[in-house]
Amino acid sequence: MCGIAGRILNSAGRVGADLVELMDAQEHRGADSTGFAVYGPPLDGEYVLRGMGFDKNRLGKDMDEFRAILHEHGSDFTEDATFTSDDHAHYCARIIIRDPIDLTRWLRDADTLGEHFEIQSCGRSLEIIKDVGSSAAVADKHGVRNMIGTHGLGHARLATESSVLPNASHPFWARPFPDVAIVHNGQITDYFTWREKLMRKGYRFLTENDSELIAVWVSDQIASGLTAAQALKKSISSIDGVFTYMIADRDGIGFAKDRFAMKPLVVVEENGEMAAATEEQAVRRIFSGECDVINYDGPSLTGIWGVGNRSLAA
Amino acid sequence: MSEVVIEVGKRHIREINEEIQAACAAGHKVVVRNTLSRHNLGVGLPDGANVHFEGSVGYYCGGLNDGATITVERNAGWAAGEGMSHGQITIGGYAGMSVGAAMIDGTIHVKGDCGPRVGVAMKGGNIVVEGRIGYQSGFMAHAGKIIALGGAGHSCADALWQGEVWVAGPVDSLGVDVKVVEPSAEEVAEVDAILEPLGLADSSRNWRKMISGQRLWYFESRDASAWLMI
Repeated sequence: MCGIAGRILNSAGRVGADLVELMDAQEHRGADSTGFAVYGPPLDGEYVLRGMGFDKNRLGKDMDEFRAILHEHGSDFTEDATFTSDDHAHYCARIIIRDPIDLTRWLRDADTLGEHFEIQSCGRSLEIIKDVGSSAAVADKHGVRNMIGTHGLGHARLATESSVLPNASHPFWARPFPDVAIVHNGQITDYFTWREKLMRKGYRFLTENDSELIAVWVSDQIASGLTAAQALKKSISSIDGVFTYMIADRDGIGFAKDRFAMKPLVVVEENGEMAAATEEQAVRRIFSGECDVINYDGPSLTGIWGVGNRSLAA
Repeated sequence: MSEVVIEVGKRHIREINEEIQAACAAGHKVVVRNTLSRHNLGVGLPDGANVHFEGSVGYYCGGLNDGATITVERNAGWAAGEGMSHGQITIGGYAGMSVGAAMIDGTIHVKGDCGPRVGVAMKGGNIVVEGRIGYQSGFMAHAGKIIALGGAGHSCADALWQGEVWVAGPVDSLGVDVKVVEPSAEEVAEVDAILEPLGLADSSRNWRKMISGQRLWYFESRDASAWLMI
Protein backbone atom coordinates (compact mmCIF):
# COMPACT_ATOMS: atom_id res chain seq x y z
CA MET A 1 0.00 0.00 0.00
CA CYS A 2 1.35 3.39 -1.05
CA GLY A 3 -0.25 6.74 -1.69
CA ILE A 4 0.20 8.82 -4.82
CA ALA A 5 -0.89 12.29 -5.86
CA GLY A 6 -0.80 14.68 -8.80
CA ARG A 7 -1.53 18.38 -8.98
CA ILE A 8 -1.85 20.83 -11.88
CA LEU A 9 -2.26 24.60 -11.39
CA ASN A 10 -3.57 27.11 -13.92
CA SER A 11 -0.31 29.03 -13.76
CA ALA A 12 2.93 28.73 -11.83
CA GLY A 13 2.24 28.83 -8.09
CA ARG A 14 2.81 27.06 -4.79
CA VAL A 15 2.47 23.57 -6.18
CA GLY A 16 4.99 22.26 -3.63
CA ALA A 17 2.73 23.29 -0.73
CA ASP A 18 -0.27 21.57 -2.35
CA LEU A 19 1.67 18.35 -2.93
CA VAL A 20 2.82 18.35 0.71
CA GLU A 21 -0.84 18.63 1.81
CA LEU A 22 -1.93 15.86 -0.57
CA MET A 23 0.75 13.55 0.80
CA ASP A 24 0.25 14.56 4.44
CA ALA A 25 -3.39 13.41 4.15
CA GLN A 26 -2.16 10.02 2.91
CA GLU A 27 0.72 9.51 5.34
CA HIS A 28 -1.04 6.46 6.84
CA ARG A 29 -0.66 4.72 3.45
CA GLY A 30 3.10 4.65 3.85
CA ALA A 31 5.20 6.78 6.13
CA ASP A 32 8.62 5.24 5.60
CA SER A 33 9.57 7.58 2.76
CA THR A 34 8.01 10.47 0.87
CA GLY A 35 8.89 12.01 -2.46
CA PHE A 36 7.87 14.85 -4.74
CA ALA A 37 8.35 15.74 -8.39
CA VAL A 38 7.92 19.47 -8.99
CA TYR A 39 7.87 21.13 -12.42
CA GLY A 40 9.24 24.63 -11.89
CA PRO A 41 9.92 27.52 -14.28
CA PRO A 42 11.90 26.02 -17.20
CA LEU A 43 15.60 26.76 -17.69
CA ASP A 44 17.16 27.62 -21.04
CA GLY A 45 20.46 26.00 -22.01
CA GLU A 46 20.78 24.55 -18.51
CA TYR A 47 19.51 21.49 -16.67
CA VAL A 48 18.58 21.28 -13.02
CA LEU A 49 19.74 18.07 -11.36
CA ARG A 50 18.73 16.49 -8.09
CA GLY A 51 20.96 13.80 -6.70
CA MET A 52 21.91 11.84 -3.62
CA GLY A 53 25.28 10.87 -2.16
CA PHE A 54 25.31 7.89 0.17
CA ASP A 55 28.09 9.08 2.48
CA LYS A 56 28.10 12.73 3.47
CA ASN A 57 31.76 12.50 4.53
CA ARG A 58 32.56 11.85 0.90
CA LEU A 59 30.73 14.91 -0.46
CA GLY A 60 33.84 16.81 -1.59
CA LYS A 61 35.31 13.80 -3.39
CA ASP A 62 31.94 12.94 -4.98
CA MET A 63 31.59 16.45 -6.38
CA ASP A 64 35.18 16.51 -7.68
CA GLU A 65 34.57 13.26 -9.57
CA PHE A 66 31.16 14.40 -10.77
CA ARG A 67 32.52 17.68 -12.05
CA ALA A 68 35.44 16.02 -13.80
CA ILE A 69 32.98 13.95 -15.83
CA LEU A 70 30.93 17.07 -16.63
CA HIS A 71 34.10 18.76 -17.95
CA GLU A 72 34.75 15.81 -20.25
CA HIS A 73 31.32 16.44 -21.77
CA GLY A 74 31.74 20.20 -22.24
CA SER A 75 29.62 21.13 -19.23
CA ASP A 76 30.03 22.55 -15.74
CA PHE A 77 28.08 23.89 -12.79
CA THR A 78 26.58 27.29 -13.65
CA GLU A 79 26.06 28.20 -10.01
CA ASP A 80 27.07 26.79 -6.63
CA ALA A 81 25.40 23.48 -5.85
CA THR A 82 23.30 23.31 -2.68
CA PHE A 83 23.41 20.38 -0.26
CA THR A 84 21.03 19.11 2.40
CA SER A 85 21.80 16.55 5.08
CA ASP A 86 20.82 15.54 8.61
CA ASP A 87 21.65 12.68 11.01
CA HIS A 88 21.41 10.13 8.21
CA ALA A 89 24.53 9.08 6.31
CA HIS A 90 23.29 10.37 2.94
CA TYR A 91 23.13 13.90 1.56
CA CYS A 92 20.98 15.44 -1.18
CA ALA A 93 22.25 17.81 -3.84
CA ARG A 94 20.68 20.36 -6.19
CA ILE A 95 22.94 21.25 -9.11
CA ILE A 96 22.46 23.46 -12.17
CA ILE A 97 24.61 22.53 -15.16
CA ARG A 98 25.21 23.92 -18.64
CA ASP A 99 23.93 21.58 -21.37
CA PRO A 100 26.40 18.72 -21.94
CA ILE A 101 27.33 18.06 -25.59
CA ASP A 102 25.33 14.83 -25.49
CA LEU A 103 23.08 14.33 -22.49
CA THR A 104 22.76 10.55 -22.84
CA ARG A 105 26.50 9.99 -23.18
CA TRP A 106 27.27 12.25 -20.23
CA LEU A 107 24.67 10.46 -18.13
CA ARG A 108 26.14 7.08 -18.98
CA ASP A 109 29.50 8.25 -17.67
CA ALA A 110 28.01 10.05 -14.67
CA ASP A 111 26.09 6.90 -13.72
CA THR A 112 29.41 5.08 -13.24
CA LEU A 113 29.62 7.05 -9.96
CA GLY A 114 26.26 5.51 -8.93
CA GLU A 115 27.75 3.53 -6.05
CA HIS A 116 28.57 6.80 -4.26
CA PHE A 117 26.47 9.47 -5.95
CA GLU A 118 23.27 9.00 -7.90
CA ILE A 119 21.46 11.46 -10.17
CA GLN A 120 17.76 11.23 -9.34
CA SER A 121 16.31 13.76 -11.74
CA CYS A 122 17.41 15.86 -14.68
CA GLY A 123 15.32 18.34 -16.59
CA ARG A 124 14.71 21.88 -17.73
CA SER A 125 11.94 21.99 -15.18
CA LEU A 126 11.66 18.72 -13.20
CA GLU A 127 13.10 18.39 -9.71
CA ILE A 128 12.65 15.16 -7.73
CA ILE A 129 12.98 15.44 -3.98
CA LYS A 130 12.79 12.19 -2.05
CA ASP A 131 13.91 11.03 1.33
CA VAL A 132 13.02 8.81 4.26
CA GLY A 133 10.34 10.16 6.59
CA SER A 134 6.82 11.58 6.48
CA SER A 135 5.49 14.22 4.12
CA ALA A 136 5.95 16.95 6.73
CA ALA A 137 9.47 15.78 7.64
CA VAL A 138 10.66 15.63 4.02
CA ALA A 139 8.95 18.96 3.26
CA ASP A 140 10.65 20.65 6.25
CA LYS A 141 14.06 19.22 5.42
CA HIS A 142 13.99 20.14 1.73
CA GLY A 143 11.82 23.26 1.69
CA VAL A 144 9.24 21.63 -0.59
CA ARG A 145 6.40 23.92 0.51
CA ASN A 146 8.19 26.90 -1.03
CA MET A 147 8.72 25.27 -4.40
CA ILE A 148 6.99 27.13 -7.23
CA GLY A 149 5.78 25.36 -10.33
CA THR A 150 2.87 24.47 -12.59
CA HIS A 151 2.41 20.82 -11.70
CA GLY A 152 3.90 17.86 -9.90
CA LEU A 153 3.59 14.42 -8.35
CA GLY A 154 3.76 13.10 -4.80
CA HIS A 155 4.35 9.69 -3.27
CA ALA A 156 4.16 8.12 0.20
CA ARG A 157 5.92 4.78 0.36
CA LEU A 158 5.18 1.65 2.31
CA ALA A 159 8.05 -0.56 1.23
CA THR A 160 6.82 -4.05 0.36
CA GLU A 161 9.18 -5.28 -2.34
CA SER A 162 12.54 -3.80 -1.34
CA SER A 163 14.39 -2.04 1.50
CA VAL A 164 13.61 1.31 3.03
CA LEU A 165 16.38 3.44 1.55
CA PRO A 166 16.23 7.13 0.67
CA ASN A 167 17.00 6.43 -2.99
CA ALA A 168 14.49 3.55 -3.26
CA SER A 169 11.57 5.91 -2.68
CA HIS A 170 9.53 7.51 -5.47
CA PRO A 171 9.21 9.41 -7.77
CA PHE A 172 11.54 7.75 -10.28
CA TRP A 173 13.04 9.62 -13.17
CA ALA A 174 12.67 7.94 -16.59
CA ARG A 175 16.38 8.33 -17.32
CA PRO A 176 17.80 9.48 -19.69
CA PHE A 177 14.72 11.46 -20.81
CA PRO A 178 14.71 14.93 -19.22
CA ASP A 179 11.59 15.98 -17.30
CA VAL A 180 9.84 12.57 -17.19
CA ALA A 181 8.92 11.14 -13.76
CA ILE A 182 6.64 8.41 -12.41
CA VAL A 183 4.98 7.47 -9.12
CA HIS A 184 3.39 4.08 -8.53
CA ASN A 185 0.96 2.47 -6.10
CA GLY A 186 0.94 -1.33 -6.27
CA GLN A 187 3.26 -4.26 -6.99
CA ILE A 188 4.81 -5.33 -10.27
CA THR A 189 4.92 -9.11 -10.34
CA ASP A 190 6.95 -9.72 -13.51
CA TYR A 191 9.58 -7.26 -12.35
CA PHE A 192 12.57 -9.60 -12.54
CA THR A 193 11.77 -10.82 -16.05
CA TRP A 194 11.31 -7.28 -17.35
CA ARG A 195 14.36 -6.03 -15.51
CA GLU A 196 16.56 -8.65 -17.15
CA LYS A 197 15.14 -7.92 -20.60
CA LEU A 198 15.71 -4.19 -20.21
CA MET A 199 19.20 -4.61 -18.74
CA ARG A 200 20.15 -6.67 -21.78
CA LYS A 201 19.04 -3.67 -23.86
CA GLY A 202 21.52 -1.54 -21.91
CA TYR A 203 19.24 0.14 -19.35
CA ARG A 204 20.55 0.72 -15.87
CA PHE A 205 18.58 0.09 -12.67
CA LEU A 206 19.72 1.99 -9.61
CA THR A 207 17.55 0.32 -6.98
CA GLU A 208 15.83 -2.98 -6.16
CA ASN A 209 12.45 -1.24 -6.22
CA ASP A 210 9.87 -2.85 -8.52
CA SER A 211 8.39 0.57 -9.35
CA GLU A 212 11.66 1.68 -10.93
CA LEU A 213 10.76 -0.80 -13.66
CA ILE A 214 7.86 1.41 -14.76
CA ALA A 215 10.20 4.38 -15.23
CA VAL A 216 12.70 2.31 -17.21
CA TRP A 217 9.96 0.56 -19.20
CA VAL A 218 8.40 3.92 -20.10
CA SER A 219 11.85 5.20 -21.16
CA ASP A 220 12.21 2.21 -23.46
CA GLN A 221 8.78 2.88 -24.99
CA ILE A 222 9.55 6.57 -25.55
CA ALA A 223 12.89 5.56 -27.10
CA SER A 224 11.04 3.30 -29.53
CA GLY A 225 8.85 6.20 -30.60
CA LEU A 226 5.67 5.85 -28.56
CA THR A 227 3.91 8.88 -27.13
CA ALA A 228 3.13 9.00 -23.40
CA ALA A 229 -0.53 8.21 -24.17
CA GLN A 230 0.43 5.16 -26.23
CA ALA A 231 2.88 3.95 -23.59
CA LEU A 232 0.22 4.27 -20.88
CA LYS A 233 -2.21 2.12 -22.86
CA LYS A 234 0.41 -0.45 -23.79
CA SER A 235 1.58 -0.84 -20.18
CA ILE A 236 -1.77 -2.34 -19.12
CA SER A 237 -1.27 -5.48 -21.21
CA SER A 238 2.55 -5.49 -21.01
CA ILE A 239 3.23 -5.13 -17.30
CA ASP A 240 1.84 -7.73 -14.88
CA GLY A 241 0.74 -6.83 -11.40
CA VAL A 242 -1.54 -4.41 -9.63
CA PHE A 243 -0.92 -0.76 -10.23
CA THR A 244 -2.16 2.74 -10.52
CA TYR A 245 0.77 4.82 -11.67
CA MET A 246 1.12 8.38 -12.81
CA ILE A 247 3.65 9.74 -15.25
CA ALA A 248 4.46 13.41 -15.65
CA ASP A 249 6.38 15.46 -18.18
CA ARG A 250 6.51 19.17 -18.93
CA ASP A 251 3.16 19.01 -20.76
CA GLY A 252 1.05 17.29 -18.13
CA ILE A 253 0.26 14.22 -16.06
CA GLY A 254 -1.08 10.85 -17.21
CA PHE A 255 -2.16 7.70 -15.39
CA ALA A 256 -2.75 4.01 -16.06
CA LYS A 257 -4.63 1.43 -14.02
CA ASP A 258 -4.22 -2.35 -14.11
CA ARG A 259 -6.84 -4.72 -15.51
CA PHE A 260 -7.97 -5.91 -12.07
CA ALA A 261 -8.94 -2.42 -10.87
CA MET A 262 -7.14 -2.97 -7.58
CA LYS A 263 -5.73 0.48 -6.83
CA PRO A 264 -7.87 3.59 -6.63
CA LEU A 265 -7.50 7.05 -8.13
CA VAL A 266 -9.69 9.98 -7.21
CA VAL A 267 -9.66 13.19 -9.24
CA VAL A 268 -11.15 16.65 -8.97
CA GLU A 269 -10.97 18.99 -11.97
CA GLU A 270 -12.18 22.51 -11.44
CA ASN A 271 -11.58 25.68 -13.46
CA GLY A 272 -8.74 24.08 -15.39
CA GLU A 273 -6.98 22.92 -12.20
CA MET A 274 -6.60 19.29 -11.22
CA ALA A 275 -5.86 17.36 -8.06
CA ALA A 276 -5.54 13.56 -8.11
CA ALA A 277 -4.83 11.20 -5.24
CA THR A 278 -5.23 7.65 -4.04
CA GLU A 279 -7.81 8.76 -1.46
CA GLU A 280 -10.62 11.27 -1.73
CA GLN A 281 -9.82 12.71 1.69
CA ALA A 282 -6.50 13.92 0.25
CA VAL A 283 -8.04 15.91 -2.61
CA ARG A 284 -10.40 17.40 0.01
CA ARG A 285 -7.35 19.15 1.46
CA ILE A 286 -7.28 21.14 -1.81
CA PHE A 287 -10.99 21.25 -2.65
CA SER A 288 -12.78 21.27 0.71
CA GLY A 289 -16.17 22.45 -0.60
CA GLU A 290 -18.66 20.33 -2.46
CA CYS A 291 -17.36 19.49 -5.91
CA ASP A 292 -17.61 16.74 -8.49
CA VAL A 293 -15.25 13.92 -7.62
CA ILE A 294 -14.31 11.47 -10.36
CA ASN A 295 -13.52 7.96 -9.15
CA TYR A 296 -11.36 6.13 -11.66
CA ASP A 297 -12.44 2.80 -10.18
CA GLY A 298 -12.75 0.66 -13.29
CA PRO A 299 -10.16 -1.70 -14.81
CA SER A 300 -7.68 -0.90 -17.62
CA LEU A 301 -8.09 2.88 -17.55
CA THR A 302 -5.73 5.56 -18.81
CA GLY A 303 -5.95 9.32 -19.04
CA ILE A 304 -3.87 12.46 -19.48
CA TRP A 305 -4.33 15.96 -18.10
CA GLY A 306 -2.53 18.79 -19.85
CA VAL A 307 -0.90 21.74 -18.14
CA GLY A 308 -2.40 25.16 -18.90
CA ASN A 309 -5.61 23.72 -20.36
CA ARG A 310 -3.70 22.18 -23.23
CA SER A 311 -5.76 19.40 -24.74
CA LEU A 312 -3.89 16.10 -24.66
CA ALA A 313 -6.61 13.49 -24.98
CA ALA A 314 -5.29 10.00 -24.26
CA MET B 1 -35.84 12.31 19.39
CA SER B 2 -33.58 15.34 19.61
CA GLU B 3 -30.81 15.96 17.12
CA VAL B 4 -27.11 16.15 17.91
CA VAL B 5 -24.68 17.72 15.40
CA ILE B 6 -21.11 16.42 15.33
CA GLU B 7 -18.36 18.20 13.42
CA VAL B 8 -15.56 16.16 11.73
CA GLY B 9 -12.98 18.49 10.12
CA LYS B 10 -9.44 17.53 11.07
CA ARG B 11 -10.34 15.93 14.44
CA HIS B 12 -9.27 12.41 15.39
CA ILE B 13 -11.71 9.81 14.03
CA ARG B 14 -11.76 7.83 17.29
CA GLU B 15 -12.95 10.89 19.20
CA ILE B 16 -15.70 11.52 16.60
CA ASN B 17 -16.87 7.90 16.66
CA GLU B 18 -17.00 7.94 20.48
CA GLU B 19 -19.21 11.04 20.34
CA ILE B 20 -21.48 9.42 17.73
CA GLN B 21 -21.78 6.27 19.86
CA ALA B 22 -22.55 8.28 23.02
CA ALA B 23 -25.23 10.35 21.26
CA CYS B 24 -26.82 7.19 19.83
CA ALA B 25 -26.78 5.51 23.25
CA ALA B 26 -28.59 8.57 24.68
CA GLY B 27 -31.28 8.12 22.03
CA HIS B 28 -30.43 11.13 19.86
CA LYS B 29 -30.57 11.37 16.10
CA VAL B 30 -27.08 12.31 14.89
CA VAL B 31 -26.07 14.58 12.03
CA VAL B 32 -22.37 14.50 11.14
CA ARG B 33 -21.02 17.59 9.35
CA ASN B 34 -17.92 18.65 7.45
CA THR B 35 -17.01 15.01 6.81
CA LEU B 36 -14.30 15.81 4.20
CA SER B 37 -14.36 12.18 2.94
CA ARG B 38 -12.65 10.98 6.13
CA HIS B 39 -12.42 7.22 6.72
CA ASN B 40 -14.04 4.86 9.28
CA LEU B 41 -16.89 7.19 10.20
CA GLY B 42 -19.79 5.56 12.09
CA VAL B 43 -18.28 2.09 12.40
CA GLY B 44 -20.03 -0.42 14.70
CA LEU B 45 -23.24 1.54 15.29
CA PRO B 46 -25.86 -0.15 17.52
CA ASP B 47 -29.41 -1.24 16.77
CA GLY B 48 -31.87 1.64 16.64
CA ALA B 49 -29.27 4.37 15.99
CA ASN B 50 -30.03 6.99 13.34
CA VAL B 51 -27.05 8.78 11.80
CA HIS B 52 -26.88 11.11 8.80
CA PHE B 53 -23.57 12.10 7.18
CA GLU B 54 -23.58 15.37 5.26
CA GLY B 55 -21.41 15.54 2.13
CA SER B 56 -19.20 12.57 1.20
CA VAL B 57 -17.52 9.97 3.41
CA GLY B 58 -14.30 7.99 2.93
CA TYR B 59 -13.58 4.28 3.38
CA TYR B 60 -15.52 1.82 5.59
CA CYS B 61 -18.39 4.14 6.57
CA GLY B 62 -21.06 2.23 8.51
CA GLY B 63 -18.90 -0.88 8.68
CA LEU B 64 -19.95 -3.55 11.21
CA ASN B 65 -23.36 -1.86 11.46
CA ASP B 66 -25.45 -3.73 14.03
CA GLY B 67 -28.90 -2.35 13.22
CA ALA B 68 -28.54 1.40 12.72
CA THR B 69 -30.19 3.46 9.99
CA ILE B 70 -27.39 5.36 8.26
CA THR B 71 -27.67 7.87 5.42
CA VAL B 72 -24.84 9.46 3.43
CA GLU B 73 -25.78 12.60 1.53
CA ARG B 74 -23.33 12.18 -1.35
CA ASN B 75 -20.61 9.64 -2.13
CA ALA B 76 -19.00 6.88 -0.07
CA GLY B 77 -15.44 5.59 -0.52
CA TRP B 78 -14.39 1.94 -0.44
CA ALA B 79 -16.31 -0.77 1.42
CA ALA B 80 -19.20 1.17 2.93
CA GLY B 81 -21.12 -1.18 5.25
CA GLU B 82 -18.35 -3.77 5.31
CA GLY B 83 -19.28 -6.72 7.53
CA MET B 84 -22.61 -5.20 8.62
CA SER B 85 -25.01 -7.58 10.36
CA HIS B 86 -28.25 -5.55 10.53
CA GLY B 87 -29.77 -2.21 9.67
CA GLN B 88 -29.93 -0.03 6.59
CA ILE B 89 -27.39 2.19 4.85
CA THR B 90 -28.49 4.64 2.15
CA ILE B 91 -25.86 6.31 -0.03
CA GLY B 92 -27.14 9.32 -1.98
CA GLY B 93 -24.50 9.25 -4.72
CA TYR B 94 -21.70 6.94 -5.80
CA ALA B 95 -20.38 4.06 -3.71
CA GLY B 96 -16.70 3.14 -4.20
CA MET B 97 -15.13 -0.29 -4.52
CA SER B 98 -16.41 -3.26 -2.46
CA VAL B 99 -19.57 -1.71 -1.04
CA GLY B 100 -21.15 -4.22 1.37
CA ALA B 101 -18.06 -6.44 1.41
CA ALA B 102 -18.63 -9.54 3.56
CA MET B 103 -21.93 -8.17 4.92
CA ILE B 104 -24.05 -10.67 6.82
CA ASP B 105 -27.52 -9.10 6.76
CA GLY B 106 -29.35 -5.80 6.39
CA THR B 107 -29.83 -3.57 3.35
CA ILE B 108 -27.53 -1.19 1.50
CA HIS B 109 -29.25 1.18 -0.92
CA VAL B 110 -27.06 3.12 -3.37
CA LYS B 111 -28.82 5.82 -5.40
CA GLY B 112 -25.96 6.36 -7.86
CA ASP B 113 -23.46 3.98 -9.49
CA CYS B 114 -20.99 1.67 -7.76
CA GLY B 115 -17.31 0.87 -8.17
CA PRO B 116 -15.88 -2.64 -8.70
CA ARG B 117 -16.65 -5.76 -6.66
CA VAL B 118 -19.99 -4.75 -5.13
CA GLY B 119 -20.82 -7.23 -2.35
CA VAL B 120 -17.53 -9.11 -2.57
CA ALA B 121 -17.77 -12.19 -0.32
CA MET B 122 -21.12 -11.08 1.09
CA LYS B 123 -22.81 -13.67 3.28
CA GLY B 124 -26.35 -12.33 3.34
CA GLY B 125 -28.58 -9.26 3.12
CA ASN B 126 -29.37 -7.13 0.07
CA ILE B 127 -27.54 -4.48 -1.89
CA VAL B 128 -29.82 -2.38 -4.08
CA VAL B 129 -28.17 -0.11 -6.63
CA GLU B 130 -30.25 2.33 -8.68
CA GLY B 131 -27.37 2.96 -11.09
CA ARG B 132 -24.78 0.60 -12.49
CA ILE B 133 -22.62 -1.87 -10.60
CA GLY B 134 -18.90 -1.92 -11.47
CA TYR B 135 -16.39 -4.50 -12.67
CA GLN B 136 -16.52 -8.00 -11.14
CA SER B 137 -19.53 -7.27 -8.95
CA GLY B 138 -20.70 -10.08 -6.68
CA PHE B 139 -17.21 -11.62 -6.70
CA MET B 140 -17.39 -14.76 -4.53
CA ALA B 141 -20.66 -13.73 -2.86
CA HIS B 142 -21.66 -16.56 -0.51
CA ALA B 143 -25.30 -15.57 -0.06
CA GLY B 144 -27.64 -12.58 -0.31
CA LYS B 145 -28.76 -10.53 -3.30
CA ILE B 146 -27.20 -7.75 -5.34
CA ILE B 147 -29.93 -5.94 -7.29
CA ALA B 148 -28.80 -3.44 -9.93
CA LEU B 149 -31.40 -1.36 -11.77
CA GLY B 150 -29.02 0.44 -14.15
CA GLY B 151 -26.86 -2.32 -15.61
CA ALA B 152 -23.48 -3.86 -14.81
CA GLY B 153 -19.85 -3.56 -15.89
CA HIS B 154 -17.52 -6.29 -17.10
CA SER B 155 -17.06 -9.68 -15.47
CA CYS B 156 -20.42 -9.45 -13.72
CA ALA B 157 -21.18 -12.02 -10.98
CA ASP B 158 -17.68 -13.49 -11.22
CA ALA B 159 -17.04 -16.72 -9.28
CA LEU B 160 -20.27 -16.65 -7.26
CA TRP B 161 -20.98 -19.05 -4.44
CA GLN B 162 -24.65 -19.05 -3.41
CA GLY B 163 -25.24 -15.31 -3.78
CA GLU B 164 -27.45 -13.92 -6.54
CA VAL B 165 -26.95 -10.96 -8.84
CA TRP B 166 -30.07 -9.44 -10.39
CA VAL B 167 -29.53 -6.90 -13.16
CA ALA B 168 -32.01 -4.81 -15.11
CA GLY B 169 -30.26 -3.00 -17.96
CA PRO B 170 -27.19 -3.73 -20.04
CA VAL B 171 -24.40 -6.03 -18.79
CA ASP B 172 -20.94 -5.47 -20.35
CA SER B 173 -19.86 -9.10 -19.87
CA LEU B 174 -20.35 -12.04 -17.54
CA GLY B 175 -17.71 -13.30 -15.14
CA VAL B 176 -16.39 -16.82 -14.77
CA ASP B 177 -18.84 -19.65 -14.08
CA VAL B 178 -22.04 -17.57 -14.23
CA LYS B 179 -25.41 -19.01 -15.15
CA VAL B 180 -28.14 -16.61 -16.25
CA VAL B 181 -31.51 -18.11 -15.34
CA GLU B 182 -35.13 -17.15 -15.88
CA PRO B 183 -36.54 -16.11 -12.50
CA SER B 184 -39.87 -17.53 -11.38
CA ALA B 185 -42.80 -15.21 -10.61
CA GLU B 186 -42.31 -15.91 -6.89
CA GLU B 187 -38.63 -14.92 -7.10
CA VAL B 188 -39.50 -11.66 -8.92
CA ALA B 189 -42.12 -10.95 -6.26
CA GLU B 190 -39.42 -11.51 -3.61
CA VAL B 191 -37.17 -8.95 -5.28
CA ASP B 192 -40.04 -6.50 -5.67
CA ALA B 193 -40.73 -6.90 -1.96
CA ILE B 194 -37.13 -5.79 -1.29
CA LEU B 195 -37.52 -2.81 -3.66
CA GLU B 196 -41.01 -1.80 -2.45
CA PRO B 197 -40.01 -0.09 0.83
CA LEU B 198 -37.34 1.85 -1.13
CA GLY B 199 -39.99 3.09 -3.56
CA LEU B 200 -38.33 1.24 -6.45
CA ALA B 201 -40.71 -1.60 -7.25
CA ASP B 202 -41.56 -1.85 -10.96
CA SER B 203 -43.13 -5.01 -12.36
CA SER B 204 -42.14 -4.18 -15.96
CA ARG B 205 -38.42 -4.82 -15.46
CA ASN B 206 -36.66 -7.32 -17.63
CA TRP B 207 -34.44 -9.09 -15.08
CA ARG B 208 -31.36 -11.13 -15.63
CA LYS B 209 -30.84 -13.34 -12.60
CA MET B 210 -27.30 -14.64 -12.27
CA ILE B 211 -26.30 -17.57 -10.13
CA SER B 212 -23.28 -19.81 -9.89
CA GLY B 213 -22.72 -22.44 -12.58
CA GLN B 214 -21.22 -24.45 -9.67
CA ARG B 215 -18.28 -25.51 -11.81
CA LEU B 216 -15.80 -23.68 -9.59
CA TRP B 217 -17.23 -25.00 -6.34
CA TYR B 218 -14.89 -27.98 -6.62
CA PHE B 219 -11.52 -27.74 -8.26
CA GLU B 220 -11.14 -30.07 -11.20
CA SER B 221 -7.87 -29.94 -13.06
CA ARG B 222 -9.72 -30.12 -16.38
CA ASP B 223 -11.33 -26.76 -15.44
CA ALA B 224 -7.97 -25.10 -14.82
CA SER B 225 -8.40 -22.86 -17.85
CA ALA B 226 -11.54 -21.36 -16.29
CA TRP B 227 -9.66 -20.67 -13.06
CA LEU B 228 -6.84 -19.16 -15.02
CA MET B 229 -9.15 -16.95 -17.06
CA ILE B 230 -6.82 -14.04 -16.47
